[in-house]
Amino acid sequence: MTDTLTVRRVSATPDALIPMDALRSDGPTYAKLVDISKCIGCKGCEVACKEWNDLGVEPTANFGSIQSHQDLSPKTWLLMRFNEVEIDGNLNWLIKKDACLHCEEPGCLYACPAPGAIVQYTNGIVDFNQEHCIGCQYCVTGCPFDIPRFDANTRKVSKCNMCIDRVESGLEPACVKTCPTNAISWGSKEDMLALADHKIETLQSRGYENAAVYNPAGVGGTHMMYVVPHGDRLEDYSLPSDPTASPAPMTALGFLRRIGAYFLSFSVIGALVHFLAYGPERLEEE
Amino acid sequence: MATRLLDRFSFFERLIHWVVGITFVVLLFTGLAFSHPSLFWLTTVLGGGPSARVLHPWVGAIFSIGMCLMILIWIKDMFLDDGDRRWLGAVRHYAMRETDKVPPAGKYNAGQKMFFWFQAMFGILHLASGVPLWFPTGFDAAVLQWMRVIHYVVTLGGGALLVVHVYLGTVAYPGTARAMIDGTVTARWARHHHPRWHEEQTRS
Repeated sequence: MTDTLTVRRVSATPDALIPMDALRSDGPTYAKLVDISKCIGCKGCEVACKEWNDLGVEPTANFGSIQSHQDLSPKTWLLMRFNEVEIDGNLNWLIKKDACLHCEEPGCLYACPAPGAIVQYTNGIVDFNQEHCIGCQYCVTGCPFDIPRFDANTRKVSKCNMCIDRVESGLEPACVKTCPTNAISWGSKEDMLALADHKIETLQSRGYENAAVYNPAGVGGTHMMYVVPHGDRLEDYSLPSDPTASPAPMTALGFLRRIGAYFLSFSVIGALVHFLAYGPERLEEE
Repeated sequence: MATRLLDRFSFFERLIHWVVGITFVVLLFTGLAFSHPSLFWLTTVLGGGPSARVLHPWVGAIFSIGMCLMILIWIKDMFLDDGDRRWLGAVRHYAMRETDKVPPAGKYNAGQKMFFWFQAMFGILHLASGVPLWFPTGFDAAVLQWMRVIHYVVTLGGGALLVVHVYLGTVAYPGTARAMIDGTVTARWARHHHPRWHEEQTRS
């Protein structure tokens, strides 16, 4: 089964806020489901991501955590974050797979002024197209999850692309493929939501009564979702509790730029009409 | 008899005017390129998308310095007096070339003064909203997007005024543009357009 990569939204098109009508929609809408309760913190997914995407090694230093790097970077698209938190008197090791969540309503794409630099496909993947990126970094601020990273040398922004080249060929992303405990699942969004429900039921029967799926409505849902054992402690996992893509100013800007070029053209036309009506002023010589 | 010339703008005034004018046009083209996908090709003015992104703010910085100097050297001449208010009331006659119905203007007529105040305001708003757009990462997404809205609206205002300014200063009123080239105007032009200034200049 291969994916047709039908385009859904393209950055800096007049109607970037409105998804396109898909001409072909024969592929499924994918989602990655990360069951945090099953993660053993091996970071095999980080290595697989580096390998598949050819991101290279970034030296790091021990900063008092098992975490490999302190932050995402243009060469580190996936980082397992480890937060040590005390819950009910016990030390808990809260893990977050920090990478692009592939929002249904992508704040990065809405913010992007470079035509074609960010593309959302009907399969749910939001991909950066560095060829068209102008390095303005508006996507960095547009992202409610603080994911895109700017490379000061290339002046391009990059992030997890959900291994779009693998998905296109009918394969799962590299992190999914490599996970030894099957903490990361891959499939259609519907299937993954159903799987999440099942996992949450199991967790609740084991005493995690606040277990929840993380699929925030403020960005229209995401195509990487989490099963969070302590669903009432999202901040402790470094997960924003109410992320939004704030389309309001973009709607205003979209309206203004629709009329703006005409407005300027009318000032030129106005001057021309005035010139035709009154011509150049002629002063009689004294 | 040789045409009598009056000095209107000093070398420094002309230099600053053209620094601001040329940078404004470059900024207008590249800014419009970022504002609408159909106009993105205008980034070519500064070498394509990525280099336009780098250079637009630097050109903006030069523009801003020029704009600040311009405000400093001209602000004292730009406050409106009663004569200017009467001039504004008769602006329709000015546009229709009914010169006899327009109250006499000083060195600057009220239209030029209003142009100064609006462009000064737009220039400051461009600078204030442009700095976050230059260094976007420290700012909240919504704040940044509203800055883009403000930056764009003042561009439209300033751009439309620029068209009017260039039109009036060149083809509509021949003899005006030379004030910004060699710094002089003819006495005949001055008496017609700025009678009170002409009087001051010729009295001494």
